Amino acid sequence: MKNRYKIILIAILAMFSAISCQQFSDVSKIGEVESLNTVVSVTLNLGSAPVPDMLNVRMINYSERYEVSTTMSPNGTVTIPDIIPGIYTITVTSEKSQDGFTYNYSGNAVNVDIVTNNKQITVNVGASKSGALVFKEVFYCGSRTPTGGSYFRDQFYEIYNNSETVQNVRNLSIAMIAPMTATANKPVWPATEDPSLFVYALQIWSVPNDKDYPLNPGESIIIAQMADDHKKSNLNPTSPVNLLSAEFETLVNTTSLIQDNPAINMVMSFWPTPTPQWLTTVFGGAFVIYFPNEPINPANFVTPVGLSTRHYRIPIEDVVDALELVGNATQVQLKRMPAVLDAGAATVGGTYLSVSVARKVKETVDGGRAILFDTNNSSEDFEVMSPPVIRRYGAVAPSWNTWK
Amino acid sequence: MKMRKVKYIYWAGVLMLTLFAVQPASAQKTADKNSPASVELLKAKSLWFNTTNGAGLTLDKMYNYSSVDFTYQLKSGDFKKLQDGERERLLGVSTEGGQKLGTGYAWGKFSFNNEMQRNTQFNSTMLDPGRGMPFYTVDPNISDWKKQDYRLEMKVASQPLWERVILGIQGEYFANTGAKQVDPRAETYFYHINIKPGLVALFNNHAVGINFVYENMVQESGTTNSNGQVNQDVYVMKGLGNYYPSVVGGLQSLGRFVYSGNKVGAALQYSYGFSDIKFLLEGKYDYGVEDVISTPTKPKKEGSVVTEIMEAKLSAVKVGDNLSRLELSYSNRNMDGIEHVQVLDNTYEVQQWVDLYSSIRSTYKQEEMSARFDFYRGADHEYKWKAGIFTTYKGNDDVYVLPHSRMFVKNMFFGADAKTSISLGGRTKLLAGAGFTYKNNFDGKYRYRGADPTSIIITQFMTPDFEFMKQSYYKIGGELTLHSGLGKFGKAGFYLKAALDYYKPIEGDNSRVQTNFGLGFIF
Repeated sequence: MKNRYKIILIAILAMFSAISCQQFSDVSKIGEVESLNTVVSVTLNLGSAPVPDMLNVRMINYSERYEVSTTMSPNGTVTIPDIIPGIYTITVTSEKSQDGFTYNYSGNAVNVDIVTNNKQITVNVGASKSGALVFKEVFYCGSRTPTGGSYFRDQFYEIYNNSETVQNVRNLSIAMIAPMTATANKPVWPATEDPSLFVYALQIWSVPNDKDYPLNPGESIIIAQMADDHKKSNLNPTSPVNLLSAEFETLVNTTSLIQDNPAINMVMSFWPTPTPQWLTTVFGGAFVIYFPNEPINPANFVTPVGLSTRHYRIPIEDVVDALELVGNATQVQLKRMPAVLDAGAATVGGTYLSVSVARKVKETVDGGRAILFDTNNSSEDFEVMSPPVIRRYGAVAPSWNTWK
Repeated sequence: MKMRKVKYIYWAGVLMLTLFAVQPASAQKTADKNSPASVELLKAKSLWFNTTNGAGLTLDKMYNYSSVDFTYQLKSGDFKKLQDGERERLLGVSTEGGQKLGTGYAWGKFSFNNEMQRNTQFNSTMLDPGRGMPFYTVDPNISDWKKQDYRLEMKVASQPLWERVILGIQGEYFANTGAKQVDPRAETYFYHINIKPGLVALFNNHAVGINFVYENMVQESGTTNSNGQVNQDVYVMKGLGNYYPSVVGGLQSLGRFVYSGNKVGAALQYSYGFSDIKFLLEGKYDYGVEDVISTPTKPKKEGSVVTEIMEAKLSAVKVGDNLSRLELSYSNRNMDGIEHVQVLDNTYEVQQWVDLYSSIRSTYKQEEMSARFDFYRGADHEYKWKAGIFTTYKGNDDVYVLPHSRMFVKNMFFGADAKTSISLGGRTKLLAGAGFTYKNNFDGKYRYRGADPTSIIITQFMTPDFEFMKQSYYKIGGELTLHSGLGKFGKAGFYLKAALDYYKPIEGDNSRVQTNFGLGFIF
C-alpha cells in the first residue's frame, strides 16, 4: 500500500515537472521587443484612370491601437520605421480629379503579420470613379427604453444619390453578408468558383421591381426596419427617430406592435429563416447594395464547408456600395468585407447608444447639395453622429414619396 | 463541486490541527502556560522556523503549543488603492500548533477567512489584484466583492539521523474563491500548492541547509452579466495602463481567463552558534512562469509572465536573560511580461490560434532592503516587555518597452513598536502595545506614452493609484490583549484582543482605519 502511495506521489511530481519544464522551455528564448522597419510597394491596376500624384499609406495595428502614416510615390517604395511587431491593416488611398471626374484610388492588405524586420508588403491599388448610390447614414445599434431596456426596431439605412445624374433604385437590393458579426471565425466557402469573387449574403431585401423609383442628385431613400414613429408611447418614447416618412420598410408580419406603415414594403428576396422583423445585429453587420444581374432565386443557395446555414452568393462586380460595421474599434481587424469593397470599417463602439454612423461631407455644391466622401474606406468616410437623423445635410426625399 | 472539495479540505484541516491541539504536552520542558507573548517569543528565538527549510525546525528546539484564533477585522476610509474596498470586513478563524516528535518537530496551521469588500473599482476578476499579474480585466463600475479562502501550512523535521542529517519538508495549500457583485460580475477560483523538501547537515556548531521549492498555481475566472439587456465595457490590462477594450455580454463577450503557473526554486542556509549568540544566513532563488489564456476551448494567449526572485537574509539572536534579535534582508524581484502575436488558423478542421511572435513587452523590478532590531526583556518563556525599530527601503521600477512608458516609486519606511505585559493579578495579564510607522516617498514618476492617454484607464485608474503609491504617510497603532489561564493549574489560556491602526497621508484629508478584534485559546 505504501509503495502504491509512493508511486502515485512520484507520478504526480513527474507530471508537474514535465508541465513546468515545457512552460519554462516555451519562454526561455523570448527576448525584448524591438521596433521593425517595413517596406511597402504598390501594384497599380487603374484601368483607364489616371495615375495619382501621391499615395497615402496608413498602417494600423488595431489590437495595439497603434497607427503609422506616410506618403509614397505610385512608382516607388517606402520604408516605414517604428513598427511594433503585430498584425496590421495597410491601406493605400488617394484621390484625383481629372476631366470632370473624381477618381478614388484604394487598396489594402488586411491582417498582415509584421514580425520580421524589413518585411516587403505589396498592396494592389485599384481605381474607381466615385459611386452614384452610397450608404449615407446607418442607425444599427438601437436605443434604450425609458426603463433601460433595449429597443432595436428603429434601425434604418439611408441611401443617397451622390452623383450628378438621376439614379433609378428599382430592384436595388440590400444584403447583410456573412458572418453576422465581426469574428475571427470566418466561414470556409466551397471552391467550386473562386470564393474571392463573391460576398455571401445571409439576408437580401429588394426594392420592388414593379416600377421606376428615380432618385435625383442630392435625394435619398430611407429603408426602415419598421417605418413607424418610434417615439410613440407603445414603442420607445426615448427612441431618437420618427421613420414615418421612410420610403421603404422591411415588413415581415404585422403584430400588435408592428403595423403596415405608409412606406413601400420591400421584397424579401432571400432569408432562409425569417423572424417577425428584419433585425440586423446591433453589434454591426456588413452590408452591400447592388442591382442583381438576374432574379434572386433562394433555391440557389450555398453553404459553408461543414455547415448547413444557407447563404446567397453576390458577385463583387455587381456591388454598388458596401459598408462594414463592427462592434468596436478593435474589431476592425476582424473584417468580413473584402478590401476591394470596403478597406475599413465604421463603428459606434457599443450597443443601444442611440447613435449612428454617417458619411462625412466632402463639399457642398450648387444649391447646397452635399457631396459625400466615398473612398471605399468606411474608417475614413464615416463618423459617429448623435442623434441619428434621416436626410441630414439637406438631403431631399424623392418626389414619389407622397407620405413624407 | 469545487465548493465541496474546499469544504473537505477545510474539515481535514480542522481535524488535523485539532489533533495537534489535543496532543498531551508531555514533553514540554516547563510548566509555564502558553500565551500570545510566549508564542511570539518562541517564534522570535527560532531562527530556522522563519526559513523555507522545514528540516531546521529540529534545531530550534521549540516546545509544544497549540492555538485557535478567531478574528474580526474591519477596514474603512478612502486612503486606499481603488481596487481595495472603501469598507472591508473579514471574519477569520485559524488554528496552529507545534508538536515535538521525539527529537524532531512538526508544525501546522489552518486558516479560513471570509471577506466582504464594499465599493471596489477597476477589478473585474482578480481575487488579489496586487499579486503582480499585469494581464487582467478591469471595469469602471463600483462593486462589492465577496471572497473566502482556506490555507493549510505544514512543516515537519525529522530527528537527527546518524547525528549528522535532518530531513524535513514544508508545504502549503491555498484555495481562494470570490465573486464580484455588480455587472460585469465575475466568479474566480484560485489555488496554489507548494512543497519544499529540505535537509540540514550538522557539523559541530555549524549547520548547513538546503531546500528545494516547487509550486503550482491555477486561477480561473469567468465574467457574465446579470442584466442581459446591457453589455458592459471592460478593459484587458497589459501593463502600465496599456490595454485593449472588450465587452462582457452579447456575441463577442469576453471569454473565460485561465492562469496557470509553475515555480521552482532553492534555498541555502547556514547557521552557527557560539556562546549565547546564534545567527543564520539564508539565500533563496525562485524562478516561475505563469501563462494567461482566454477562452480555454479555443485558447488564445493573453500573455505570460516570467518571475525571478532572489532573497538574502541574515538573522541573529542573542539569548540570555533577555533576547536581542537582528534581521537584515534584501530581496530583488524581476518580472517580464510577455505578449504574443497570434493569428487564427481558420482551416475548418483546425481553427486554432497560432503563435507568430512573442516578445517581452514589459518589465517589472522590485527591490527591497530592510533592517529590524527587537529587544525582549525576559527571554525564559514570556517577555516582560519588548521594543523594536525597523527601516525598509522599497523601490519599484516598471517599464513598458514599446511604446515606452515607465512608472517608478521609491519609498522608505521607518518605524518603532513596543509591547509590555502587565500582570492584573492571578493568572491574568494584559499585553499592551503601540507602534508607529512613517513612510517617506522620495522619488516617483509615471509617464504613459501608450495609445490613449485620455482614457479612463489612465485618468481614473492608473494615475490615482500611482498617486496613492507615491504618497508619504504615517501609521499609528495600538493593541490590547487580555490573557488569562483556564483552570487552576493547566497550561491552557484564552485571550481577547483589540487592535487599531490609523493611516494618514502627509498631504490630503483622506485616511484609513483598520480595526481588529480577536478571541483565542492557547494550549
